Amino acid sequence: MKNIFQSLSMGRALKWSGFLVSTGLIVQLLCLVRIHPFSFIAFLGIGCPLVGAGIVLYLFSILTQSDKPQA
Amino acid sequence: MSAWIVIIIAAVAILMALFVGLRSKFTQTKEGKMMAFVGLLILPTICVGLGFEEQMTRAESTNFCLSCHVMNDFGHSLYVDDKSYIPAVHYQNNFVPRDHACYTCHTNYAMFGTVKAKWGGMHHLLVQYLGTIPKPEDIRPYEPYNNRECLHCHLGSRRFEENDAHLKTATLMADIKADRLTCTSSKCHDTVHDVGTLKDATFWKPGATK
Repeated sequence: MKNIFQSLSMGRALKWSGFLVSTGLIVQLLCLVRIHPFSFIAFLGIGCPLVGAGIVLYLFSILTQSDKPQA
Repeated sequence: MSAWIVIIIAAVAILMALFVGLRSKFTQTKEGKMMAFVGLLILPTICVGLGFEEQMTRAESTNFCLSCHVMNDFGHSLYVDDKSYIPAVHYQNNFVPRDHACYTCHTNYAMFGTVKAKWGGMHHLLVQYLGTIPKPEDIRPYEPYNNRECLHCHLGSRRFEENDAHLKTATLMADIKADRLTCTSSKCHDTVHDVGTLKDATFWKPGATK
């Protein structure tokens, strides 16, 4: 798992993280448009996992970057 | 929590996340690192928390419960012009808040009652989207209706405590309070939603004078 994140450069990881977080937040915003059970499901099933994945990717990118030896 | 606060924070977070994503070189500066930290961690976490709270609050609203097609008849039963229909009397006379009518009676007034009610709601969603939806007249609560939910409001009220029907026998009141005699199935208040009989019912029209 760590190798996957280490293979990503910091910039690339941040790009993906930004994309995932912003997509997840857009889904969450759309879920606020209408009061309906489907909005609830989409919030929990799509919005939250996307934002969560973005945050995890960002945190891993920081961790793996700090693991690398300083030049 | 107003949905507008969630919307504003989410909008700011989206802009920051996109900026960081598109201009990742900017994060090599101190300001960029701070922006990435706020835009990719702090604000999204706040948004998820506030959004979850907002969704849970919405899930308690009458509109939410009645938005599934199978619940339509239960919504109509709140407008029956007949005092023997318990939910209709409560709804029409504001004995329960109209915008939270379903949740007020169908939550569980015990420890972790809200959690239990939400878990039941998740089960409803599972049936709605993945299961076999029953006919409205076949829908029953998961557990027999507990007097505790009625007594949450009625206990101590003069109308309840001094009602002759509740004092017919020496033990009747004690039986009601201990849930040994159920309010809704004791031939006293046994007309609840009764969605199977709605086709013969007359309905109250709010604002219309007789």
